[in-house]
Amino acid sequence: MSTVTDAPTRTRGRRPDDDRPPRRIGLSQRLGTWDVKLSPYLYISPFFVLFAITGLFPLLYTAYVSMHDWDQIMGQGEFVGLEHFRFVLGHSDFWVSLRNTISIFLLSSVPQVLVAITLAALLDSNLRARTFWRMGVLLPYVVAPVAVSLIFSNLFADRFGLVNAALGLIGVEPIRWHSDPLASHVAIATMVNFRWTGYNALIFLAAMQAIPRDLYESAWIDGAGRVRQFFSITVPMLRPTIIFVAITSTIGGLQIFDEPRLFDQYGRGGAGSQWKTLTIYLYELGWTQSNFGRASAVAWLLFLVIVAFGLVNLAVTRRIADTR
Amino acid sequence: MIPTTTVPGAATRTRRSGLNRPGFVTYGLLGAFLAGSVFPLWWSFLIGSHDSTVLARTPFPLLPGGNFLRNAATVIDQVPFWRATLNSIIVSTTVSLSVVLFATLAGFAFAKLRFLGRGPLLVFVVATMAVPTQLGVVPLFIVMARLGWTGELTAVIVPAMVTAFGVFWMTQYLRGTLPDELIEAARVDGASMIRTFWHVALPAARPAAAMLGLFTFVATWTNFFWPFIVLNAKNPTLTVALQQLQAAYFIDYSMVLAGATLATIPLLVLFVVAGRQLVSGIMQGAVKG
Amino acid sequence: MLIGVAGLALAGCAGGGDDDAPDGQAGGGGGGGGDQVTLTVATFNEFGYEELFEQYMTENPNITIEHTKADTADNARDALRNSLGANAGAADIEAVEVDWLVEFMQYPDKFADLSSPEVEGRWLDWKVDAATTDDGKLIGYGTDIGPEAICYRADLVEAAGFPSDREGFAEWIGDSWDSYFAAGREFVAASDAAWYDSAGALWQGMTNQIEVPYETPEGEIVAATNPEVRAAYDAVLKASVEDGLSAHLGQWSTDWAQSFQGDEFATMLCPGWMLGIIEGNAAGVEGWDIANVVPGGGGNWGGSYLTVPAQGDHVEEAIALAQWLTAPEQQIQAFLAKGTFPSQPAAYEDPALVDSTNAFFNDAPTGQIFIDRANAVEFQPYKGPNYFVINTAIQDAITRVDVDGSADAESSWAQFVSDVEAIG
Repeated sequence: MSTVTDAPTRTRGRRPDDDRPPRRIGLSQRLGTWDVKLSPYLYISPFFVLFAITGLFPLLYTAYVSMHDWDQIMGQGEFVGLEHFRFVLGHSDFWVSLRNTISIFLLSSVPQVLVAITLAALLDSNLRARTFWRMGVLLPYVVAPVAVSLIFSNLFADRFGLVNAALGLIGVEPIRWHSDPLASHVAIATMVNFRWTGYNALIFLAAMQAIPRDLYESAWIDGAGRVRQFFSITVPMLRPTIIFVAITSTIGGLQIFDEPRLFDQYGRGGAGSQWKTLTIYLYELGWTQSNFGRASAVAWLLFLVIVAFGLVNLAVTRRIADTR
Repeated sequence: MIPTTTVPGAATRTRRSGLNRPGFVTYGLLGAFLAGSVFPLWWSFLIGSHDSTVLARTPFPLLPGGNFLRNAATVIDQVPFWRATLNSIIVSTTVSLSVVLFATLAGFAFAKLRFLGRGPLLVFVVATMAVPTQLGVVPLFIVMARLGWTGELTAVIVPAMVTAFGVFWMTQYLRGTLPDELIEAARVDGASMIRTFWHVALPAARPAAAMLGLFTFVATWTNFFWPFIVLNAKNPTLTVALQQLQAAYFIDYSMVLAGATLATIPLLVLFVVAGRQLVSGIMQGAVKG
Repeated sequence: MLIGVAGLALAGCAGGGDDDAPDGQAGGGGGGGGDQVTLTVATFNEFGYEELFEQYMTENPNITIEHTKADTADNARDALRNSLGANAGAADIEAVEVDWLVEFMQYPDKFADLSSPEVEGRWLDWKVDAATTDDGKLIGYGTDIGPEAICYRADLVEAAGFPSDREGFAEWIGDSWDSYFAAGREFVAASDAAWYDSAGALWQGMTNQIEVPYETPEGEIVAATNPEVRAAYDAVLKASVEDGLSAHLGQWSTDWAQSFQGDEFATMLCPGWMLGIIEGNAAGVEGWDIANVVPGGGGNWGGSYLTVPAQGDHVEEAIALAQWLTAPEQQIQAFLAKGTFPSQPAAYEDPALVDSTNAFFNDAPTGQIFIDRANAVEFQPYKGPNYFVINTAIQDAITRVDVDGSADAESSWAQFVSDVEAIG
């Protein structure tokens, strides 16, 4: 049967011999059976145990906390039912944060996917110094969001920032990056895009390279140009990848915290909540106002938002990738 | 010889032979993108090497000044920088090693061992990847407070010790690369399960494990939300220390940006050393960390 | 229960002498002979303690002090909350800012009682009152206070043709908010610069002159209905927006910090601790001076306390250190290092304080000026447990109008009212 040439087994120096006498019956065999039966469960248990304790339990317990008065210092208080949800849903901060979160998410994910696909198409050619370019686009990935945010909040300073200075050179009025909601969303989305566009481009690149080349050849014969090929072959074939990228960025993007938190030195998302996101709101309720009950209510609502968005996302991306 | 191994994602890549080298438009666009990627880091170093008054002047400087080391010294004085760096190294290394070990163990079981409930359990693992566990912060914080772990690195390490993605990734990899025959051979040899894992599965998993470790390291190093909540100014990780620089009444921006530069250097070094692996890791299907 | 500095030495020895001494020194920590005690001290911003710690460690060889100085007051507050909630992780001495002191006084059990005959009469009355609970427990030892004066750019004032020397300037702007704003209107008509940096900064001065601004001692939230608050709010926004006196800079923002490098505004409200910040931001700019006056009479902005969380292992040693640090002699050292103005009246007699001047501010006699300003402070406004949250909300309201321009005074006030209603 198999002639093993690989290092791992060779080190043990023996091979299965057909005529090996049966030994170690009894206890060791029974142990062997247990070994076979239990080991798999043992091996997968770390994940399940840890997930149960640090993932599942906290999520469920969040629901419990959300129905109680719960001060960070004083601990659990009275059962209040859905009071915290009523409060949060009735307060403008929640809706403004929701608006900001979605706006920042859209501003970061949509352009990001488009640019990443374009970038992937550029990389998917017979480039000189291929590895250099691929590594180059990935560089921002290793910069921590906290550092990215410190740098960009400086670049986007309202009066003494480089971006406004540059805009001034081409005659554009200074943009109020820290005052105007939409402008602040653009600035924050820029930070997200800075870090992730190259990363996603590489994912798309890998997917592009897996597309069978004969598809292009037959299209070529049919007289389709490169642009046409891109839209009629590449994009549809990338559908699963687009869905994948969209879903992962939904889960992460809607929980955005680092970038808006460090966009100014207060970290509360602006005096008019211009760029307050749901996670910042959650933090503010829980750790600034000490109200764990309300913070938990926001956590659950955000959870629902993410689920809803994931579903919408799935439907929309399917749709988009289907047309063609 | 071993029957042909199929590495997931490493499917044979036919280059687009016959097509010409791309023109200057392609290089120009790529070059512009690259410039955009590098510029913020350059800016950070640039301002970090002057003093903060430079920002109020026009035109902005184009060349670095001579103050970087002085600003860096202020950073180190202002926050427990070395402590934070050491903490980041400890946390990132421990988490990476632990994720690799536990994920490979579970991946080995899912990919190569037969047991009741294997299919549904694996589906469950994959499904948890879509669960935004960050939303459980409040109870997690309560638990950590009860355990007396707030402010301690264990509070950051323990919840991150194994990830669904890691398990899924190693399962996929081992399913494709580790021939059943090898395991059978080891078993027939009388090796216990754990021996088989150690001597057969682990070595076979090495390439994927290295990538998993690498991505986990970067993700842990750059992580902010949970460490920010559960750690404090006395015992921070690097990202937590970094945000403290901005949160002061007198903000010296050249100092802040020197700090941002300083905190980025370790990962830049990692990038130079292991950038290729990161690229191929992503192209083989690594997901966002 | 309290041991002073002298008692501390005893505590150190007692632990060393006999065996475990279970009866005597339970709080001594550690056991074991000649034990080193490590005390952690958490401060924020600049307390000017670095050299004092060295001195204390030299005088008390068995004490090692670890100092964490990191955040803004805001972050220090969140961190202390975390530690108290977890009942672990607090430093042995935690500095607390006056604006959120009362919030923590809701949990008196979490802090050691610091009252002691030795420190009686050490601080200004209003300083001590603010840190004393209803049943007489003292939560914090006063460190500094922030008596307000007006800092101004003499060069800009002079260029606009107004009196720029300290006395002349003080006379010109007068001692009421009306006269200060009137002078501002004259000034902006004659200059390109704004009159002051930020409406939010002025707000701190105005609100600190209202005796019961946001909450009554009975626990009622009156912020949204208090006519004094509304009047001050309207006045500062009218001056800032309609009259264009404000430079529309958000205090502490990037732009605010950078603006010191230009000729953006001529005056600002400056408590003692602000001098170092101005000097840092305005490095290289000449023309700053200080006037011995503040609109609306005296006012105090900020200032801190040292508290000793009860959860620590070395409560007694920590109290001793806190007592030592807040003694007048030490506070004067801190003032000389970082400009934190003493809350201890005894210090006001000390030549080291009285005769101090500041070269950056045209050699102004800052010691005497701030002593006068401190004596002009008649009361500390009542700050209830929600002070921090309410003040943040109204600061946001002012910023929306003054800096962002995203709302008018009326609609921004409506938002503030809704924010206040959300407290609870």
